[in-house]
Amino acid sequence: MISAALQRSKFSLNLQPFKRLYSNKQTVPQKTTHDEQIKEHRESGLTTPHPPKDVLTAEVISGAPETLQHRQVRIYKPTKNTMQSGTHNTHHWRVDFDILQGGGRWEHPLMGWSSSADHMQGTNVKFQSKEDAINFCEKQGWDYFVSKPRSPKFKTKQYAANYYHSPGKLRLAQTK
Amino acid sequence: MVKLTVDGKEVEVPQGTALIQACELAGATIPRFCYHDRLAIAGNCRMCLVEVERAPKPVASCAMPAMPGSNVFTNSERTNKAREGVMEFLLANHPLDCPICDQGGECDLQDQSMRYGSDRSRFFEVTGKRAVENKDFGPLVKTSMNRCIQCTRCVRFANEVAGVEELGTTGRGNDLEIGTYVQKTLDSELSGNIVDLCPVGALTSKPYAFTARPWELKSTETVDALDAVGSNIRVDSRGHEVMRIQPRVNDDVNEEWISDRTRYACDGLKYQRLTNPLIRVGDRFQSASWPGAIATVADGLSKSGAKGDEIQAIAGSLADTESLVALKDLLNKLGSENTALDTKRGTAPPAHGVDHRSNYLYNNTIPASEEADAVLFVGTNPRHEAAVINSRFRKGYLHNNTDFGVIGDKFDAIYDYEHIGVDAKTVGDFLSGGVKSPFADKFMKAKKPLIVVGSAVTEHDDGQSVYAAIAKHVEANKDRFLTEEWNGFSTLQRAASHTAAYDVGFVPSQQAESTKAKFVYLLNADDFDAQVIPRDAFVVYQGHHGDHGAQFADVVLPGVAYTEKGTTWINTEGRAQLGRAAISAPGASREDWKIIKALSELVGKPLPYEDVIGVRDRLWEISPALTRYDELESPSAASVGLGLAEMAKKGTPVTSTKAFVKPLENFYQTDPISRASVTMANCVKSFVKGVNSEETAVPPAETQAQKHA
Repeated sequence: MISAALQRSKFSLNLQPFKRLYSNKQTVPQKTTHDEQIKEHRESGLTTPHPPKDVLTAEVISGAPETLQHRQVRIYKPTKNTMQSGTHNTHHWRVDFDILQGGGRWEHPLMGWSSSADHMQGTNVKFQSKEDAINFCEKQGWDYFVSKPRSPKFKTKQYAANYYHSPGKLRLAQTK
Repeated sequence: MVKLTVDGKEVEVPQGTALIQACELAGATIPRFCYHDRLAIAGNCRMCLVEVERAPKPVASCAMPAMPGSNVFTNSERTNKAREGVMEFLLANHPLDCPICDQGGECDLQDQSMRYGSDRSRFFEVTGKRAVENKDFGPLVKTSMNRCIQCTRCVRFANEVAGVEELGTTGRGNDLEIGTYVQKTLDSELSGNIVDLCPVGALTSKPYAFTARPWELKSTETVDALDAVGSNIRVDSRGHEVMRIQPRVNDDVNEEWISDRTRYACDGLKYQRLTNPLIRVGDRFQSASWPGAIATVADGLSKSGAKGDEIQAIAGSLADTESLVALKDLLNKLGSENTALDTKRGTAPPAHGVDHRSNYLYNNTIPASEEADAVLFVGTNPRHEAAVINSRFRKGYLHNNTDFGVIGDKFDAIYDYEHIGVDAKTVGDFLSGGVKSPFADKFMKAKKPLIVVGSAVTEHDDGQSVYAAIAKHVEANKDRFLTEEWNGFSTLQRAASHTAAYDVGFVPSQQAESTKAKFVYLLNADDFDAQVIPRDAFVVYQGHHGDHGAQFADVVLPGVAYTEKGTTWINTEGRAQLGRAAISAPGASREDWKIIKALSELVGKPLPYEDVIGVRDRLWEISPALTRYDELESPSAASVGLGLAEMAKKGTPVTSTKAFVKPLENFYQTDPISRASVTMANCVKSFVKGVNSEETAVPPAETQAQKHA
């Protein structure tokens, strides 16, 4: 799992960037040295293998369309809108689907109304924490990617900095 | 550390923290207009008033340092009363035009007047409200100065970050006005950011004016591909259309700023698009089906009789990493090593080599740029090539007393610099101590020196020697250039794809350089010299805009633009970032790597990946750094040293007196998207050829006459 790998990456070797959770597609067998390396690495005992999670994905029971399984979701913390100073919308984790490639949207030729064949385009789910979101996605059987949240670095600020003296030539002509 | 109490909650903050920051750390929300995290403190809007125990009156928390033991109330009756009063004063001269104001829906004044303002007005002035004339800030920023609340954020931004010192305030009190005093447009590559900073609707985006409301937009967080900075952006779209592009906070890359091209070139995504596969019939293109077009390409490949290195691929600045990898894999399978870039000298192995990643990366990460003592630019114009990084240099110039030296073309910098010379020979002279000047003195003694090598060096005939000279100098001064915490050798790429191309080895072999191509595959390539393509070659163009490259094509395969695909981008530091598709691609265009995959099936060399995850596994195989998203895998000082040692071996002492040629003629039009953009064309008109830069505005007739004379 890339997400789990993201968390672990500092401590153990991140073996594969993405992994399918569930796929009924015929994946191409890629018997490269890469596979052998992974096998070798696992046998070396350098990293702790993670046992495969025994998840009964929701779609088995819920009857959600199978096509959902072929799409990726992204788990991320929405960033602050730079137009405003408020931060209210940035406290939760959000899960939404990548757009449907290849004509998922069209416009009404006369009225210009937007339509979509993508029934997940308006769906997003909010979570309190990243772990909740990951857990949910795993249970649904969705492939997911976790974006690392970015928050501004803290730097102290002083009003007095406007009046600091700097030796040498004048570098800033304040025009305020 | 300072301990204080905010709303009954004890909080510990570092010495010298502003009270507003302390309140924020304690979890209290303080309304503000003039205070901004990344600008100097002004203290003139008075909205951040809080009550401090034993203070005679409410204090402006932005201008007040956090004091030990103070007891602060951010939600007391007195505070609220004070804020209500301030709000009333601000609104006294603010027009009630929210319904027709572009800021409506994401306006700080609107929100805060709802939250902190009074519910009724006492405004009964017979003379009405203050009226202020609008200013002309050029084609990007629209002004409506009646709405200005004089927070001066725009002035501080222009002054400190963008380096436009003309913008300022005139008059006092009620008559204070923002402007340039003598009418002048805002000539800066970062001017769009003042639209974001403006807490009201006084400065709004001109191209976006009256087109959408924020609540109609779908925001997608992704990465910019129009320069090599890899700015984090948020693409706001409605239906099929990208309405605007906003920055997204990432202190490691772009802080909160993006350049004007990143922000405003998005209207170019709507024009000149390739939506159907096209096949050349005679002298015109005919649209075709995908199977037909790809079969024609496969046919063309076999009919051209191209073997081995005669099959050439040229990638352009907007090619994503996945498609680069797919195309290189396909070419290698066909027995060719002829993978080139569309830059000048891109068809030859690059001067810096690609064996060591540190030789072509911006090793001294973007945030560290501001810590340098002395910066030497060699063959680069950071203002045009990486406008956002350039603002970091200004930060260093202002707060860290950084000095700058330039070898290469002179440019209109936002800091003072010493111009050392224009040609390659000067680099050798300067580094061997042959130049005596204040900057040379400082550079030779600097504790944190930085050499920024631009793409003009790679494109210079004697590039290898220049690199060798620089490498030798860095090696000789290892103790200053390459330490645990400092990395003084950096290369600045100018296009989003270049680092990725070097990383995956998308460069020609020595042998391929001299081979004449019979089959040319152009992947988003538009900036090449026409002579690069042999007349009788079969040419395929894959890309999203009908620009320079598509003209040469026998078959055009429509790919998608960066806002329509979720792909990997590697910025100039080597930071891998995953973009995300905001809207679906127009017409029949397809994701780029899929096109190459489809083609590989038809030419009988199928690529071994079926979906995008498979491609990324392949990326990982090539280099794990390509898929370590959001993390920077920067090389250690030791590995940089190894790379430099390799470079120092090559090349002869620099003797070429040929000047470095600046790779970007103008900032606003560098790629097919920005060339198709109307907004960017307007910018060229007013900033590049306008009244503000007389030297470039030479009437064409005159130059013609000179040529004939």
